[in-house]
Amino acid sequence: MRRVFYLMWKEFLELRQDPRIFPIVFAAPIIQLTLLGYAATTDVRDVPTLVVDVDRSAESRALMNRFEFSPYFTVVRVESSTAAIDDPLLRGEAWMALTIPAGYGEALRRGETARVQLVADGSDANSAGIGLGYATNLVASYAADILAERTPAAPRGGALALDVRVWFNPELQSRMFMIPGVLALILLVVTTILTSMAIVREKEVGTLEQLNVTPMRRWELVGGKLLPYALIGVVDVLLVSAVAIGWFHVPLRGSFALLFGMSLVFVLNTLGIGLFVSTISRTQQQAMIIAAFFFMMPMTYLSGFIFPIENMPQAVQWSTYAIPLRYYLVIVRGIFLKGVGLETLWPQALALLGCGVVILSLAVLRSTKRAG
Amino acid sequence: MRKVLAIARKEWRQVLRDVPTLLIVLLVPLFLLWLYGYALNFDIRRVPLAVQDRDATPESRQIVAAFTNSGYFDQVASVHADAEIHRLLDRNLARLVLVIPEGTGRDLRNGRQARVQVLINGDNANTATTVMGYAVAIVGGVSADLQIERLGTAVAPLAVEPRVWFNPELNSTLFLVPGLIGFIAMITAVVLTALSVVREKERATMEQIRMAPIGTGHYVVGKVLPYVVLSFVSATAVLLAAMAFFGMPMRGSWGLLLTVTFVFVAGALALGLLISTLVDSQQAAFQVALLVSFLPTFILSGFVFPIASMPGFVRAVTYVVPARYYLAALRGIVLKGVGFAYVWPQIAALLIFTAAAMALAALRLRREAAG
Amino acid sequence: MVTANQAPAGDLAIEVHDLTRRFGAFVAVDGVSFDVRRGEVFGFLGSNGAGKSTTIRMLCGLLQPTSGTARVGGVDVTRDPEGVKRRLGYMSQRFSLYERLTVDQNIRFFAGIYGIDRREFDDRRRFVVEMAGLAGREQLLARDLAGGWRQRLALGCAILHRPPIVLLDEPTGGVDPLSRRRFWALIERLSAEGTTVLVTTHYLDEAEHCHRLAIMHAGRLAALGTTAGLKGVFERRPIVQVQAPRPVEVMRALDARPEVEKTSIFGTAVHVVLRGASHAPDAVGGWVRDAGLRVDAVAPVNPSLEDVFLDVVERAEADRPPAGAGAARGA
Repeated sequence: MRRVFYLMWKEFLELRQDPRIFPIVFAAPIIQLTLLGYAATTDVRDVPTLVVDVDRSAESRALMNRFEFSPYFTVVRVESSTAAIDDPLLRGEAWMALTIPAGYGEALRRGETARVQLVADGSDANSAGIGLGYATNLVASYAADILAERTPAAPRGGALALDVRVWFNPELQSRMFMIPGVLALILLVVTTILTSMAIVREKEVGTLEQLNVTPMRRWELVGGKLLPYALIGVVDVLLVSAVAIGWFHVPLRGSFALLFGMSLVFVLNTLGIGLFVSTISRTQQQAMIIAAFFFMMPMTYLSGFIFPIENMPQAVQWSTYAIPLRYYLVIVRGIFLKGVGLETLWPQALALLGCGVVILSLAVLRSTKRAG
Repeated sequence: MRKVLAIARKEWRQVLRDVPTLLIVLLVPLFLLWLYGYALNFDIRRVPLAVQDRDATPESRQIVAAFTNSGYFDQVASVHADAEIHRLLDRNLARLVLVIPEGTGRDLRNGRQARVQVLINGDNANTATTVMGYAVAIVGGVSADLQIERLGTAVAPLAVEPRVWFNPELNSTLFLVPGLIGFIAMITAVVLTALSVVREKERATMEQIRMAPIGTGHYVVGKVLPYVVLSFVSATAVLLAAMAFFGMPMRGSWGLLLTVTFVFVAGALALGLLISTLVDSQQAAFQVALLVSFLPTFILSGFVFPIASMPGFVRAVTYVVPARYYLAALRGIVLKGVGFAYVWPQIAALLIFTAAAMALAALRLRREAAG
Repeated sequence: MVTANQAPAGDLAIEVHDLTRRFGAFVAVDGVSFDVRRGEVFGFLGSNGAGKSTTIRMLCGLLQPTSGTARVGGVDVTRDPEGVKRRLGYMSQRFSLYERLTVDQNIRFFAGIYGIDRREFDDRRRFVVEMAGLAGREQLLARDLAGGWRQRLALGCAILHRPPIVLLDEPTGGVDPLSRRRFWALIERLSAEGTTVLVTTHYLDEAEHCHRLAIMHAGRLAALGTTAGLKGVFERRPIVQVQAPRPVEVMRALDARPEVEKTSIFGTAVHVVLRGASHAPDAVGGWVRDAGLRVDAVAPVNPSLEDVFLDVVERAEADRPPAGAGAARGA
């Protein structure tokens, strides 16, 4: 046990000597959190919209006003000819163009169906789809209002009113979804990369061999190397949670103790991966590349962090079961946003624990074998 | 110039001898493109739907049918007790619960407005937004149908004719793949240079080179040149693969596309070089590279998240992210078929970025050499 | 080959029998046997790739032998590698210190790893600092130390726990001559205190400090004995040194004589090994002049370790049946 302590003490001394590593380890999470908190939003708002008002009537201006006052659209330009659509859309200055043709006002006054045209830039399929949906709804609700004015028999607002309630995240802010994920991602980066590199560096310099001829036991070596980074990870969890709750007002509806405990289980996984990477790489460069390309990128993309797993092809969906981050994300989001506890999360918790035990024992086994 | 070439040649030989790195630079990007291009999309279909129909009238069944026939929803459960709704949403078994209260059919028949309710699991705001859009559109459609059925002669006052340009099926792969290309090229280039230079620093071979009578500027250019070539080849391979695997169209000019790609890759490498002058250990180099290339390219480039929807100060930050310009140019050329007249601002911005990063790197190197 | 060692078994610090290590098809160490007595300075001499480091790494428990046995301090390295580690100190050519730690922190760290208790620690730290000549530099980072100091600090850290046996793998690589001399003085001091030292080197001048020497070549033990004993192979084959302006032609002329076993270049002179002790050195001068070449000086010389080493290697090469292939592989 004393040896573990000395190894940890040495590890922190070494880290302190690298003047840039501590700011990186503790500032990086905050920067990542801020970036993801503010920028990583798939919410579509302020869609830059071009209006081509050929009609130039009171009615066409009323429709344009509906767009103007909607939080979803920003009218960037008003033109009077349809020829003016191409250029802003090609340049990406406008993502959507509303064309109100000549005779629009006339048709409405006569009680006929008036037609408008919407063009969306599909090169951002996601925003275009959502924006188009908003625009269609906006026009539909406007139409219902007109209909209600025309025929008193028709109820205002249409025959059916839809009452939408969004649970867990009523304002549908992506931030609420992203920030708990950031917590997981940061833990992954800090613990996995730093651990694997710390071990491989000793290999490169030759001090690992020196340690191997001391009577230090294998588990002491592994423990002493992993614990400092586990500690850093724990500090990061606290830091990120504090900023998420205090600054970004992400609600913590569940138990903090459970969140903390599950984070420790997740750290078991990341440290195991770090150790595993270190056993298969000879240089720090190899360790980094393996960690980044074969562990971190798949974890980021295939865990459901941003891209929903249910949208992936079946084969890929199956493979996501091997990604511990997948379970941790469900747990973190569940605790933060839904306030659920182990009674709901036990399958994920078990899976996470299972992954951790498997990875860590594999890594320890491999590292012991190499000594022989 | 001869000295620059000498350094470039030495670096080139070193690169060619390093087979694992070569494989990583040339094959891994292709693999990444293939895997993630295939795996990732935002197209939301077959949303798990639960229905609580407390009315059980022909009208209520008409509403439910509108949902299940839309092609967007799969009905996974019929709910009777309210407690079950909690269970379904807590466990992510249903994303949307449609609740039709008693009296809906009666209200509709009497010409009063009826209210139906949907409960959406909002934890993933993006999916939830889309799902909400579907629900609103479906209910709007049923509402209009019912209205017209009841009033007999009434006509819809407004008709919308939506059209989508450049990507008519709103295929999210066509949107994500260009972003993925930029992302992969960036990561490969930055990590490659940052690590290779810092490794030399750690092994102190840099000092040896600094003793040679060569200006830091020349040194920098010579050092980066082979990696520019390598990364450019890798990026081009990824572009071709994107067209082969994912049906990415090519509506613009190849010459223009390759030019933009080359400038972008050079900028990414310059950034890598700059990083390597700032830190001393590979451990730190990697962390910094991750922080200034991985994350911004992912988050601030418009790869996934629309820049227009970001708050003002974050939007300001995106102007120093080179991938932002590359993605705009790439999407413009391949999807919209735009020419030089449209992409020159992007090229100019990339050139400025590259020059600035190179100059800073040279400056840092000179200071280091002096200190 | 000399292998016999008639010392009583209790007096042996290291016993190696038929030790072999293969890496795939390559045999790095091939049936090596030797014993090291307590308190002895035992040298391992050989060119790069001769198998010295592989042997040492097996003795440390870092590498499993393919076959054969080795006992260090009475403990079998295959059965109880951990037990071996408690009994020895190891230092490699890389002077594996933590560069980002200070001198004092390095000492404290290794003391902690070896489980040295607090009361003893101050004493040991003083010993290492004094031994390495680092008094007043305790707060310097290890990476800022010059080679000689780093080497002595690394040795100090490796013997903090007073191991009875110390294994040194090319401990003097890249260190200036003065520091090398100081280092060997330390080794002799350790030996005088009863510590057994096994050291590998390819510096022949250093080998002279060893009580006994083993010469390794291509994974095999080619010779073993005291320095004087090894030089005994030249007892009946005197060596004559010839100073001449055209050494290459002198060699050619002498190689043609039946009395001459072989010739080799030694600096600017030619060393000539004669068959049998009966020829006078002056006769050699006559042979050269007979060939019409000028001679500046002729003198008998005592065999140096370098003569011994080259001779051993040459004969080891000749002994190996498939000469060509094996030699290339072993180099």
